Amino acid sequence: MRVPISWLKDFIDINTTPEDVANRLNLSGLETTITKFGYYIEGLITVEIKDVQKHPQREKLNICKVYDGTELYQVVTADQSVKVGDKVILAKVGTKLPSKDINLVEFAGVKSEGMLISLEDLGLEEKSDTLFILDEDTSLGVDGSELLGLGEEIFEIEITPNRGDCLSVLGVAREVSAIFGFKKKDNIPTLNLLEKDVTIEVLTDDCYRYCGVVIKDVKVKKSPLNIRLKLIKAGLSPINNIVDITNYLLIQEGQPLHAFDLDKIEGRLTVRKAEDGERVITLDSVERVLSKDDVVIADDAKVLALAGVIGGNNSKITDETQNILLEVAVFDPISVRKTSKRLGISTDSSYRFERGIDIERVPIVRDKAVDMILSLAGGKVEGFKDLYIKPYKPSKIILSLQKIEKVLGEKLDSKECEGILNSLDIPTTLVDGALESVVPAHRYLDISRDIDLIEEIARIKGYDSFEPSYPKLSTQSFTLQREFDFFRKTREYFLSNGFTEVVNYTFTSEEFYQKLNLPVPTIKIENYILKSQSVMRDTVFAGLIETVRENLRFGRKDLSIFEISSTFFKDHEEIKVGILASGKLINGYNYTDREIKFSTTKEWDILTFKGVIENYLRSLGLFNFKITKSDKSYLHPYLSFNIEIDGKVVGYVGKLHPKTADQFEIHSNCYISELKLKYVPRILGESSLKDGYIYSCYINKLNPVYRDIPKYPPVKRDIAFVVNVDVKEGEFEEDLKLASEYIYRLRLFDVYRLSEDKKSLAYSVEFISPHRSLSDEEVNSLVDEILDKLKLKYNELTLRS
Amino acid sequence: MDIKAQLLQVKTDFESEVESVDNLQSLNEVKVKYLGKKGIITSVLKSLGSLSPEERREVGLIANKIKDFIEETLKTKEENLKTRELEEKLRKEYLDVTLPHSWHQIGYSHPVIATLYEITSIFISMGFSVESGPEVELEDYNFTMLNIPPHHPARDMQDTFYLNNGMVLRTHTSPVQIRTMLTKKPPISMVAPGRVYRKDLDPTHSPMFHQIEGLVVDKDISFRDLKGVLKIFLEAIFGKDIPIRFRPSYFPFTEPSAEVDIGCTVCKGVGCKVCKGTGWLEILGCGMVDPEVFKAVNIDPQEYSGFAFGLGIERIAMLKYQITDIRLLFNNDMRFLSQFEGIG
Repeated sequence: MRVPISWLKDFIDINTTPEDVANRLNLSGLETTITKFGYYIEGLITVEIKDVQKHPQREKLNICKVYDGTELYQVVTADQSVKVGDKVILAKVGTKLPSKDINLVEFAGVKSEGMLISLEDLGLEEKSDTLFILDEDTSLGVDGSELLGLGEEIFEIEITPNRGDCLSVLGVAREVSAIFGFKKKDNIPTLNLLEKDVTIEVLTDDCYRYCGVVIKDVKVKKSPLNIRLKLIKAGLSPINNIVDITNYLLIQEGQPLHAFDLDKIEGRLTVRKAEDGERVITLDSVERVLSKDDVVIADDAKVLALAGVIGGNNSKITDETQNILLEVAVFDPISVRKTSKRLGISTDSSYRFERGIDIERVPIVRDKAVDMILSLAGGKVEGFKDLYIKPYKPSKIILSLQKIEKVLGEKLDSKECEGILNSLDIPTTLVDGALESVVPAHRYLDISRDIDLIEEIARIKGYDSFEPSYPKLSTQSFTLQREFDFFRKTREYFLSNGFTEVVNYTFTSEEFYQKLNLPVPTIKIENYILKSQSVMRDTVFAGLIETVRENLRFGRKDLSIFEISSTFFKDHEEIKVGILASGKLINGYNYTDREIKFSTTKEWDILTFKGVIENYLRSLGLFNFKITKSDKSYLHPYLSFNIEIDGKVVGYVGKLHPKTADQFEIHSNCYISELKLKYVPRILGESSLKDGYIYSCYINKLNPVYRDIPKYPPVKRDIAFVVNVDVKEGEFEEDLKLASEYIYRLRLFDVYRLSEDKKSLAYSVEFISPHRSLSDEEVNSLVDEILDKLKLKYNELTLRS
Repeated sequence: MDIKAQLLQVKTDFESEVESVDNLQSLNEVKVKYLGKKGIITSVLKSLGSLSPEERREVGLIANKIKDFIEETLKTKEENLKTRELEEKLRKEYLDVTLPHSWHQIGYSHPVIATLYEITSIFISMGFSVESGPEVELEDYNFTMLNIPPHHPARDMQDTFYLNNGMVLRTHTSPVQIRTMLTKKPPISMVAPGRVYRKDLDPTHSPMFHQIEGLVVDKDISFRDLKGVLKIFLEAIFGKDIPIRFRPSYFPFTEPSAEVDIGCTVCKGVGCKVCKGTGWLEILGCGMVDPEVFKAVNIDPQEYSGFAFGLGIERIAMLKYQITDIRLLFNNDMRFLSQFEGIG
């Protein structure tokens, strides 16, 4: 909303600076900045065109003789519409316009003593079609800058959706008056209009009030300068006097109006719901297909306008219009909003209807409009009809001072509160120590409860006037922040282990899944910005690959990254951590003996990467995980595995399949893991502690229980087992551990391939008895027992001699 | 030569011999030569038998003194040599410790997540709990129960992504307020950090970003309490002297509502590009919980009052690290991220 200060002054006397006004508006709820209507330019004067001749050599140029009341100037202009008698503004030689300096120049031999200007030349319009034509009665030789009001302050105000009442000069004036105590004024004409039969019928509940006025014999022409300038300053383009008057009052009063060409209306005028498929070409020359939810103004033959949104082309005011029907109406906010949203048309009119109109002011606006039309376009009023279908019933609110104190935390003076509310035109009296307010029609959508009045009082008083205090937070609501701690631990583990934290969008493309031959996730954005960001991902993998590709563009192949993020499923979400390591191990330097070997020769490998993941689980106190086979198609079939805890898969680890790496054009020495951290239910009350998630395991894990430290020293034995090559070491080691209760610790120290089908696994084993020192012989027989036990499962097991 | 003179000669010999020793091995040889089973001193002591008792006592005394002397000297010499040898060994181990280390590097924190954790921690230390909710949310929780009915112009304040399952991507963390109040009884003091989505994309808007929501509900919570808590928080983040101002604003779920500005951290309030010349930076939105919201979650607005606030994490991170384009935060370009090593 743009409010020129001169327009504001029509309704209040302002005894302070524009900056002060803007600042106080800001602090009372209207976000306001000041812009200026251009700036004062020296050398602009008003002139009359006395003669127009075509340029002898340049047909696109006209040579004008212009007169400023004392002197005659010869000026060349490219404007084709200039005619003798027009009054325009001349920028004399020496004038500095925003875009250029005016010098004495010649156009193909014809000298030009200045330039006739348009609004574009002043930087006030993007593109002007013609010179800016002044009123016929403009005095000559007058300072052009002053005439146009260049440099005037315009308040640019952002109005929050609840403050429809401030979408007008009048509304802003009311605020300023309430803040500063400036006196309000208004010029309401006294007309004695006759309510006569104008046939209008309202056939829908979505029209609250419809007032139509018939005015005949008007003369459609350009509006006078002061009207045009105010519209321009408010950001609108002048069109003709009738349309300008409706726009003028829309800005000034906040009440949208519409004028129909009466002679284009066939038969009766009705306000009704449209029929499905009904069509109308609106003022913006677009054909609109209507639905039965739209409210229209129609005659017997056709739709004339979309109620409260936009007029139709068929009945618009043209230069030939002689008789008009003026509409001042109020429509249902939701109905207007639905039509405006569905058709994608937002107008100054629909914007205001959606936010509520002062229905009680309709007659005043009507009279102001009629008065302006009669004085600027002539004609006479034939009659009017005012169908006030939903009369405004003001409600009453009682506000106690205790409530004010409870909400704001401070006792306020009742007189002060009463004064503030009245200054906002909310009629308020003090009854038995409480405030009794009547909700005015201009605030009917926004104010209905005592809390709404408290806000009014607080904001006009100023929020800064309330001193901070500190609530006593109850220790009763204290809980351990285990979830937050869990995620913090996770994040810090990967950061300290050399992994960089990345954040990718959680939406991705269908192509990503198609490329991998994976099913596209079920949740999709219907009104996406980019098709490539329309699928809610069910894996963090998508983002990690994107990060690798992004960094490859700058030649960075070696990455170790992680991302903790949501993934999306039909009825729940999962927070996962994705970890990716690609290219060379980035661990600074590697020293062998006393020589430096730069580590950039060391590539990531599956067991190093496994260590990162395994240690993460261990850092959370989780040790009971199993390595099982992974079936992820995008992983290397032999260099990949799942991690299971308590029989549930919590994630996978693996090397990227070379085919996948190729598809995404990235480094093939790329390791990736994805772990399910936490289940996020969408249904209220469903537990997030589901099995198969690391957070659940972390929460449910048991504390370690202390066992006595052994009293007797261990006996160490190195044992090398010969097994078939397909034996899994991890499994074998588990079995070995369980084979004797005397095994205290063991450690694999050698794996050696003996032949095509045999390998040796060598362990350093420590035996301990809780009761005594073990002798060599005892240990020997323990080894024999172990061997016998293991042979039950590993038939061909032998000891390597 | 007389045996006494002989002994003195032995001492003199020993002294010069030990003097020239420069390693432990030679020292041991000297030790054996004088004190060994067949050593000089031993044989002198053995020969004492041929002397008269008086002589024996006198000579024995001298011999033992010399023996003690030799033992003492050898011991000292041995310690000296050992110290020297250790020093020598250590000297050989010399390494230029200004060389770069050979442990792995640490990872870089993401500035947004680091800021999110920092802010959350501030509230945890004030006694707030941390709550969370799904990102795919019911329209009811995201809008309607927050007093944003369907077809209300306030829905325009947040351009919404609609999903094919009839739900929305939450446009703010405020639905977590609803979820928390539906499952917990007051007193409540909670924050909800998380990802949110709006259909917006330019240098200052990203379709996905992060917010943190705060909510305090109890029997006597006032607007002044809201000012107090936010003052503590803003001073914790931006420093004790940061100017703070509260401006009336509008959010459907709070009444009265406010927007909070801090003095521009770049120009210190003088006016610059970042604050668009105003000297102030809009930092968060807040207000007293609207009674309609309480009604929607079955909390009696006559008995309880509360305040809520919400702020964008990206905005704070961008101010803190003077980042000019929000899109940098989601490109994951290492040339960008590597600038944020060790921030938290």
